[in-house]
Amino acid sequence: MVAVSQTASSAEKRAAYLRGLRDAVDLPVLLLMATMTSVGGIVRDVGFPAWAGTLSTLTIWAAPAQVILFGAVGAGASIPATAFAVCLSSARFLPMTVAIMPLIRQPGPMRPLTLLAAHLVSMTTWVEGLRRLPDVPLNLRPSYFFGYASLIIGAGSFATHVGYYIYGEVPLVVAAMLLYTTPMFFSSAMVSAARSRADWLALLFGFLITPLVMQVVPAGFDFLFIGLVGGTLAFVVFRRDKVKVQS
Amino acid sequence: MTFTDLGPVTALTALFVVLCIGWLPTELWRMLAVLAARGLDENSEILVWVRLVASALLAAVVAKIILAPTGAIAAIPLWGRIGGVLLGLLTLRYTRKSIVVAVLTGETVLLLAGTFGR
Repeated sequence: MVAVSQTASSAEKRAAYLRGLRDAVDLPVLLLMATMTSVGGIVRDVGFPAWAGTLSTLTIWAAPAQVILFGAVGAGASIPATAFAVCLSSARFLPMTVAIMPLIRQPGPMRPLTLLAAHLVSMTTWVEGLRRLPDVPLNLRPSYFFGYASLIIGAGSFATHVGYYIYGEVPLVVAAMLLYTTPMFFSSAMVSAARSRADWLALLFGFLITPLVMQVVPAGFDFLFIGLVGGTLAFVVFRRDKVKVQS
Repeated sequence: MTFTDLGPVTALTALFVVLCIGWLPTELWRMLAVLAARGLDENSEILVWVRLVASALLAAVVAKIILAPTGAIAAIPLWGRIGGVLLGLLTLRYTRKSIVVAVLTGETVLLLAGTFGR
């Protein structure tokens, strides 16, 4: 066991950062790059410069929000309504970031680096972070996460830029396959990471009530509704299971 | 005020759109989360609830991409979109949870559905 208060030497931190970088060279980054090429394609379609797409990946760092934003630009939609739609679609970052921060942050006062770590939270870094961080010594987790996430966001930005020039040229089926990496990766990553009955139920509820909720709740609010209802139902099961284990 | 009112795309309008309409409304949640997470213990029960909410939310994101797709995926028949995920997830049972195999299986189903499905 590593003592909690122990501070890591800069050599250890550098090693952890490099290990994060290396660990990031894996399937998830390739799949994220496939998704981001499609974002680059949309940016080109709406007549924005390539750098704006690349900047959007570095700053917004959420493919669904980027798709909503540039889609709205292309449609000439209302600006305040678009800002609102982007805001709703990104609300998932509240529970996601709250869930991962206790794994990353260090004891003591909040540092600017904590905010940078929060900025780097995306679907890919969240799923992989929750899986990988518990195995990293506490005092090296920020360095490891920065290494891991900086490779992912860098590759994503690069792919957005490349996608600007190539996405329009690929056949429709290939374009669909590039987009399909998102649901394939996240469904299989989350299913293989599910441990408890509650984990399974959260995924199952989230998946199964979506077709119903989509018809009733206005777009944008549907995710929040499903997350709160599905997550809370799963939590009730978690509590009941825990009581059973204890008694 | 619509995007059309902004006129031709200049560097300044592009910067405004990306940072003010895209980045700020997204980053808001991450920064709020840093505040909300202060003092939360790694093993606290409220964190379990938050994680389950996030999981259900991501499952809904996946479901919506498949059931109400935008862009190129919309050109693939529904059975291919659903079948790809289901068959991909099924392989997890038989491959020691290999995500590579699951993704490749799903993509193959999508390719077949897109090529022969219509």
